[in-house]
Amino acid sequence: MRKSVSKGLRGALGALLAGVCATVFAHHSFSMFDMKTTKTLSGTVKEFEWTNPHTWLWLMVPNDRGELEQWGIEGMSPNFLGRRGWSKHTLRPGDKVTVEIHPLRNGEHGGTFLNVTLPSGKKLMMFGAQIEDAKAEDGKPADSTKPY
Amino acid sequence: MKSKNVFVRALLGAALAAASTIGSAGGTPPPDAQAWAAIGKLPDFSGVWELVFARGGPPPEAPALTPEYAAKLKAYQNEQAKGGHQDNTTANCLPPGMPQIMNQPYPMEFLFTPGKITIVIEAYSQMRRIFTDGRKHPEDPDLTFNGHSIGHWEGDTLVVDTVGFVPETPLGQGGLQHSDKMRIEERFRITAPDRMEIRTTVYDPVALTKPWSTVKTLARHRDWEIAEYVCEQNNRNFVNDEGKAGIILNK
Repeated sequence: MRKSVSKGLRGALGALLAGVCATVFAHHSFSMFDMKTTKTLSGTVKEFEWTNPHTWLWLMVPNDRGELEQWGIEGMSPNFLGRRGWSKHTLRPGDKVTVEIHPLRNGEHGGTFLNVTLPSGKKLMMFGAQIEDAKAEDGKPADSTKPY
Repeated sequence: MKSKNVFVRALLGAALAAASTIGSAGGTPPPDAQAWAAIGKLPDFSGVWELVFARGGPPPEAPALTPEYAAKLKAYQNEQAKGGHQDNTTANCLPPGMPQIMNQPYPMEFLFTPGKITIVIEAYSQMRRIFTDGRKHPEDPDLTFNGHSIGHWEGDTLVVDTVGFVPETPLGQGGLQHSDKMRIEERFRITAPDRMEIRTTVYDPVALTKPWSTVKTLARHRDWEIAEYVCEQNNRNFVNDEGKAGIILNK
């Protein structure tokens, strides 16, 4: 049951993304992001800014030398996400989470937000789909090429 | 004292004589109970509507550009290839204006009052006013992002005609431009329960060799509310005068 629901949601995500290219006029271009590269970051939430025109997740991530580095991850707006199962409390300071992003091309520690896996194992997509148990899935969204 | 009054009166007279499109409509008589009751007989556009992001079907028709505007697009794209024009000014929180303000991933709401339909657009906190009291467009409208709109009903279809756009609003993504002769017709219709279709046709004899039509579907969400959208609240995106885009990551 859970699995089929997830598949349905993944289909919905795909549909959403497919349509995005055709009709929606974006707030900004994605040329600054490397849309062909998906980077996984595991770290601790410093702050989740629930603001327009974008939410911003500030994540503290240990580097190879074990030092903490701050990453800024741009997500959809609170207006969009708030209608799709997210809230200002979805990510709380101190939460240990794993996120997938398309990183900035210029090497700065930032990127565009694709999805997050919460401490509970629940995975939330930037487009509103949810996977109850990320470990039971292959962990990848259907397509992550074109957020707004 | 008296001379001051004369001066003020002269100033007022000058202001009235120079009244622009926002003041020259001549006013509308106050609505009576009948005018309010008539609204109840119109198609039900209530609720909050958002674009349906549908999969499949043919890609939307591309606009057929005149040689002059095809050359402008090519020049824009050449500049992009050299690293310029990296973004639209929406990155700086300027609204996109018409027609792209109607293609946002955010909902809108239609308010019917006597002689006017107001579209409340969540994205960039925009608003469109469509006069349905029979007035014409101004002869020489002030240019605005969303233009001057007049509308009428053809059966169950709301037909809206809009003119008078500032030049910098993009016709589409990637450097598509319009001329000062652009006129936009939109046909709004409820096609199924909680589904609205908008057929948009852009007429621009200077930029287009033929009218450019697109169709979109909106879904009604009765449990949604239009939310606040203050783009300047925490906008970390930018595009500068040289066309370079970026993100400000200091925090």
